[in-house]
Amino acid sequence: MPGSFAEFRRRSISSIMFGLCAGGAALIVAILLLVIGYLVWIGVASLSWEFLTSVPTGDVAHPGGMRHAIDGTIILVALASAVGVPIGVLAGIYLSEYPGEHVVTNPLRFIADVLAGVPSIVVGILGYELVVVPVSRWTQSSVSFSGYAGAAALAFIMIPIVARTTEEMLRLVPKTFREGSLALGATRAQTIFRVVLPGAFGGVATGIMLAMGRIAGETAPLLFTALGSRLLTHNPAEPFPSLTLQIYTYATGPYPEQKRLAWAGILVLLFMLFVVNLSIRLVASRHARFRVGV
Amino acid sequence: MTTHAVATPADRPKGWSREAMSAPPGSGGQTGVARSAHLGDAALGWACRLSAAIVFLMLISLIAVLVHSAWPAIRQFGFGFLVSTEWRVNELERPMRDATGQVVLIDGEPVMETLAPAFGALPVIWGTAVSSVIALVIAVPISLSAAIFLVRVAPKLRIAGAASFLIEFLAAVPSLAFGIWALFVLAPLFQKYVGPFLQRVLEPIPGFRWMFYETVTVAGRNIERPIPLTGRDLFTGSLILAIMILPIITSVSRDVLKSVPRTQIEGTLALGATWWQSCVAMLRYGRSGLLGAIMLGLARAAGETMAVTMVIGNNSQISPSPFAPAQTMASVLANEFAEASEGLHRAALLYVALILLTMSLVFNVVARRLVVGGISPTGSH
Repeated sequence: MPGSFAEFRRRSISSIMFGLCAGGAALIVAILLLVIGYLVWIGVASLSWEFLTSVPTGDVAHPGGMRHAIDGTIILVALASAVGVPIGVLAGIYLSEYPGEHVVTNPLRFIADVLAGVPSIVVGILGYELVVVPVSRWTQSSVSFSGYAGAAALAFIMIPIVARTTEEMLRLVPKTFREGSLALGATRAQTIFRVVLPGAFGGVATGIMLAMGRIAGETAPLLFTALGSRLLTHNPAEPFPSLTLQIYTYATGPYPEQKRLAWAGILVLLFMLFVVNLSIRLVASRHARFRVGV
Repeated sequence: MTTHAVATPADRPKGWSREAMSAPPGSGGQTGVARSAHLGDAALGWACRLSAAIVFLMLISLIAVLVHSAWPAIRQFGFGFLVSTEWRVNELERPMRDATGQVVLIDGEPVMETLAPAFGALPVIWGTAVSSVIALVIAVPISLSAAIFLVRVAPKLRIAGAASFLIEFLAAVPSLAFGIWALFVLAPLFQKYVGPFLQRVLEPIPGFRWMFYETVTVAGRNIERPIPLTGRDLFTGSLILAIMILPIITSVSRDVLKSVPRTQIEGTLALGATWWQSCVAMLRYGRSGLLGAIMLGLARAAGETMAVTMVIGNNSQISPSPFAPAQTMASVLANEFAEASEGLHRAALLYVALILLTMSLVFNVVARRLVVGGISPTGSH
């Protein structure tokens, strides 16, 4: 009944809740700006040309830069992608394009989902037990932490993500495209490579870049596999530096100059991720036709 | 449809489509082109199956390796590991005490007893559970209200795209960045201002004393002493966890709410519901998916490592106070695994990893079942 107290009450509750919802959204944006803003603000003040070009000096008052760690992260992500992208994409194709084998694909989809949710520290420990320990035993050295072990752990994280996003993107390509292609006499492989994959290119690329961004920021899987290093090394058979490991070491260490480097490192990492995210947006909007929520 | 140049395998002959078209169906193997096309088919099929096998192997190796390496601890402690509170890495030698707390003396010399290393997971399970629950209590209301805003209000204001981008970027920020922010901004803030303020306000209220005092047993007697407010404690850890799970809960809930049929909302509005009442109807319609979103957040919080390790204080104890340092399963792994030499310590840590894995698998499986029940599996809407 308009004008009654009950009516007034429910309308005011609605207004209050509207305000709270807007407040919730504003709070999240505020937290983002607070965290990112602070990191950028301090990071920019700490960033220098030296940071990008020189390697650690060993002197805690003048710790040098993080060139080795930036190179390390790029190499680790490249190695992990070299393994993870083909396996992930092929597994995604299998999930989407071989529906006849659903006895296998249904459990596989479930397993990929489960693997995507494994805590990254557990992946690191798996890498230690599965790569570092056997290699040490084989080469009879004390402990063989290596870039390869780190890249393997990162690939482990990458594969399920790539597989599931690839599958979902391929599924968005209309079935009629496949039927048309097959009706013209194309084989299954031709259909997949010439029709289905190009149709879902934007989405698949988005998923791959998303996974690359995710592993570039990982620390926990590398703690017991790549271990980190203060040397500029491009040999993944040695203990290997990464931006995240170096930042973690510096941030939790006692020296203020190294903490300053940690801030700058976080800024570089965030900048890399921002570029990746922005390119995802661009790729996704250019291929808006087959885009789903990233 | 827009086509894009995709690298075609080099072994595929040019003009395959015309020739393949002219070959009648079922004539595979007749011409060279058709044969190579069929070879390509088979190769792709086996490459796909091989990749699928690798994914299967990944899960099997994960479980097999963890169980195998944790086996010494599993055999020694069994399920008692889950409820034991002792976490003693090294042997401990101490004066033996009798039932009254008096040191046992023989000829004026205290009798020493040696305690073997012991491992129990209850403190870290407690730390994980409490920090995750506090994080959820903080994050869920904020996330759900933001999700409602994103679905019901933002499109009208034409800011849905920008807001979604911000939230997705927040989700992409590595946990290390949150950890550093928490370590250098949040922890000092709590140590200097928030902690003392809460203590001043809450301590005089009866029933809040346990938050700021702990009872310790020193020399056989119970002593109550204030907990030092360091800012690196369970509460700061939970708060940074809450911030980190905001994006995942928000974006999944947004997708769930988006998939509520328009007619549902229009129906409630047509019946005279206010804006909020129609939102309630929406929340009720998507409740299983929303529960799934919360479970995903819980799984994320339970497995989160770096940020928590940096601010939770890393002390394997069970304290009821949120201002005492704690330890989670993930943080004990990050802290101790590097130093764990061969033997029981490492096996015990692997046992912890196995529990963590099992827990996150259960959360993820339940969550995905709930979310997939709520929205279509491909996420198209």
